[in-house]
Amino acid sequence: MVNVAACGSDGDGDKKAGPDSFKGQTLTLWAMDGSTPKQWMKDVKAEFEKKTGAKLKFEVQQWNGIQQKITTALSESDPPDVIEIGNTQTPAYARTGGLADLGDLKKDLGKDWTASLNESAVYDGKQYAAPWFAVNRTVVYNKKIWAEAGIKGTPKTRDEFFDALDKIEKKTDAEPIYMPGQNWYFFDGLLIGKNADLVKKKGGKWVSNLADPKVGEAMEIYKKYASYSKAPKDKDEATPQQAEVFAKGKTGAFIGLGWEGATAAEANPKIKDDIGYFTIPGETAGKPEGVFLGGSNLAVAAGSEKQELAKEFLKIALSDKNEGALAKEGGVIPNKESLQSNLKGNPSAEAAAPAVEGGGLTPLIPEWGAVENPPNPIKSYMTSVLKGKSHAAAAKAVEGEMNKRLSQKQ
Amino acid sequence: MSVQTREAPPRGKVSVRPAGSGGSAPGGGRGTGKGTLPYLLLLPALGLTAVLLGWPLVTNGMLSFQNLNMTQLIQHVTEWNGFANYTDTLTSDTFWRVTLRSVIFTVVNVVVIIVVGTLIGLLLARLGPKMRLLLSVGLVLAWAMPPIAGTTVYQWLFAQRFGVVNWVLAKIGFTSMADYNWTGSQLSTFFVVSLLIVWTSVPFVAINLYAATTTISRELYEAAALDGAGAWQSFKSVTFPFLKPFLMVATFLEVIWIFKAFPQVFAINEGGPDRLTETLPVYAFVEGVGNQHYGAGAAISVLTILILLALMSYYLRLVLRQEAEDDEAGESTTDRKKGERA
Amino acid sequence: MQRSLLGRIWPNATAVVLFIGFVFPVYWMFNTAFKPNGDIISEDPVWFPDSPTLEHFSTAVHAENFWTLVRNSVTVTVLAVGLSLLVALFASFALARMRFKGRKGIVLTFMLAQMAPWEVMVIAIYMIVRDADMLNSLVPLTLFYTVMVLPLTIITLRGYVAAVPKDLEESAMVDGCTRFQAFRRVIFPLLAPGLMATSLFGFITAWNEFPMVLILNKDAEAQTLPLWLSKFQTAFGDDWGATMAAASLFAVPILLLFLYLQRKAVAGLTSGAVKG
Repeated sequence: MVNVAACGSDGDGDKKAGPDSFKGQTLTLWAMDGSTPKQWMKDVKAEFEKKTGAKLKFEVQQWNGIQQKITTALSESDPPDVIEIGNTQTPAYARTGGLADLGDLKKDLGKDWTASLNESAVYDGKQYAAPWFAVNRTVVYNKKIWAEAGIKGTPKTRDEFFDALDKIEKKTDAEPIYMPGQNWYFFDGLLIGKNADLVKKKGGKWVSNLADPKVGEAMEIYKKYASYSKAPKDKDEATPQQAEVFAKGKTGAFIGLGWEGATAAEANPKIKDDIGYFTIPGETAGKPEGVFLGGSNLAVAAGSEKQELAKEFLKIALSDKNEGALAKEGGVIPNKESLQSNLKGNPSAEAAAPAVEGGGLTPLIPEWGAVENPPNPIKSYMTSVLKGKSHAAAAKAVEGEMNKRLSQKQ
Repeated sequence: MSVQTREAPPRGKVSVRPAGSGGSAPGGGRGTGKGTLPYLLLLPALGLTAVLLGWPLVTNGMLSFQNLNMTQLIQHVTEWNGFANYTDTLTSDTFWRVTLRSVIFTVVNVVVIIVVGTLIGLLLARLGPKMRLLLSVGLVLAWAMPPIAGTTVYQWLFAQRFGVVNWVLAKIGFTSMADYNWTGSQLSTFFVVSLLIVWTSVPFVAINLYAATTTISRELYEAAALDGAGAWQSFKSVTFPFLKPFLMVATFLEVIWIFKAFPQVFAINEGGPDRLTETLPVYAFVEGVGNQHYGAGAAISVLTILILLALMSYYLRLVLRQEAEDDEAGESTTDRKKGERA
Repeated sequence: MQRSLLGRIWPNATAVVLFIGFVFPVYWMFNTAFKPNGDIISEDPVWFPDSPTLEHFSTAVHAENFWTLVRNSVTVTVLAVGLSLLVALFASFALARMRFKGRKGIVLTFMLAQMAPWEVMVIAIYMIVRDADMLNSLVPLTLFYTVMVLPLTIITLRGYVAAVPKDLEESAMVDGCTRFQAFRRVIFPLLAPGLMATSLFGFITAWNEFPMVLILNKDAEAQTLPLWLSKFQTAFGDDWGATMAAASLFAVPILLLFLYLQRKAVAGLTSGAVKG
């Protein structure tokens, strides 16, 4: 058995950090499309290169097919050194042995990392990644269309929101909300709001809990939203990019992340000033809708020969200064509560913040990653319900596939 | 891809034969053809094929007996699990459904391509030079379109919003087709995929078939006319025998190409909706690479190869017989037939 | 009289309809690529780009590493096609002109090789290349593409070789040429059109290959154009203008090559040279 991963993780050979010890080395960073604001990346790169004398090679990755790409890359003798990994996928990678143990970094740097964000980076009691940032969805709306429909203020409850959508439908020729059938992370938020679980333990094994009536209730809410939209029932929010649809100025609102609002403004500068954000309203005025706290961790490949340099990079990228700057520029939730003040003045982040408390994740079990692999059975479930199938029948139809995926050998 | 060879028969012989063996000079057997020379000439081709195709095939076969997932791949661990991947695959309904779907998909498309291609090829033969050039240019453009670019264009043509196909359909009276979602159902997805495949494949058949018709001597038609043959009869007794060998090759190639078609099927709708348009190669990809069960994916791919072999076995037998005749007989079969007719 | 008029009209009418059907997707690709965004997503399609713009092409060309990828694609494609033609020429000569033991088996081998489903073997190929430490290199790509197109090249080329009359070769040999000289001076020129026509298949295959380069070459500088085209689609969402511009740029070399070689090949054949 050739265990490259094991060979690579003995970083003892590395000299202790110092400006000269890393000269001539190049650190490769893989970050996802949309994760790294330009100025932040530039500053971090400059600081890193100045402090270590090494070069930073930064490669943007597309979401399509990323899991396979990371898996194969981790198996190579020269993997990317630092990799951004989605928080829901981190347990699956942690389990493969492809990620380096970052226990000492946690002691150094992460004493006050927000617990709910760090949860996904820990597997079997070991720290396999560093929490980087989180994001949650808000309502992005077109103020001009809302004014045209005669709506004042922003809705505080779900019913008020639906009333507003009704008005837009009747009074304007705009599509009230763009809601494709498979905006699954929004659906996950609704599930979190309903306290519904997607999986349950049965006989020591994880199995689907999709048939739970609470899941059906959440889906009813989703269905109501989708009824205001002409979006395809079998596509997710990325095909087409909902921000680009919204950018055309004929859509009242969509549920999306802060950067999607920015994308829309970039695609069509004319509507820039019309874009507004508010927290997704929940059942009652006091409690916003549940949200999925999507986020990313930074991990170090176990096979990387530059363990120390990689940790140096993490120390710089995740320093309070840079983490704060990331929150400020990117409008994302930073990994420490103390840094949340940086969100002030960013309308999308301000709208997102109130929902964080009631936010949640997908089940944090290594088996979960397989469920979300395309074709994601939950998305199939959503499409079936929207096309008229009953909750029970639709859940039953995909349960086999879900259980199969949950029980797959790792 | 071009099978022009069939346009260039040595005079008096029809070179159109399976495997494109032109009027191969039979009865070779002269001194230089013996000994080691032929093997030396074949060595590079066989060597490359053995190393770069044979080796992956063997590796793939070995992977199919392993439990190979994320962990094993990353750790470089080999975990044999006997026939588990095969039993899992062969006992799943999905696999058999996908197999049946693949076979139907292949048969339907090949039949459409061969029939439409033949008709267009014959049409080319009837047209005047100007119209023939026009249609040829159209065919060549479609033929030359790289599949990835073609797939992208079809996605745009059939886009739900602003796609030109929906607009045209709505304009000519099918108002319900405005904003129609082509990737929403199994049948409509297959329709788009098939249209794309037929569009790129027909020109190959049509152009080469036309080329083959140009090799048919006019005298044969005249003789048939003297015998009082009508249009259909002269097609049957003169044209068709000439085209048959080419049609055999074309069918062989099309079956392979369509059965294996991956980018077209995958890119249009990724095997959706609900995995209902997955053909065997897509299924192998989704299970293997997509779900990161590389061992299971390898087993499916081995089964895919076996199924393709089974589909082609009849044809391969024909080819073997043909080659055997080449080795033995001096005369080509068509020559003999012509002799009989004369 | 009337019937023959009808008889003359319908083939032409059908030809025109077919022409439109075959050309339209290609036309629509170029048309969209040249239209400003407003025209692309207008409620009524704009059939002709009357205010053409090069903006989409500029977006497409200014993508990161574009020219590196062009160079990679051209290198890999040309090398793979050249190598496969050379190797196939030897092989097809043996198969078409010589009788020897095992010939049948070898022909069958190439027919079987033509059936290989490369896409589903990518993981096996990946592991071989990874363990040979040759990831992110153009060498394995070139070699695999060569073998991918080799079987059909041999099968097709064999027909061309066989079609060259033997007397020519023999008379050359009577004139004192060696067999190799006879091949080089007499047969090769006659084969040129065949070689060109055969190369088309190789060009298309190698130019388009996607799954293998995706998994073998993760380094952005070792990738090829199909990856660039697919990235466009995800990165630009439903920006069809840029996507179609990219698709056009991707397709143009092959389209031109096809139109050029197709004519060449046919010209070579009709000139009667081959028939000797």
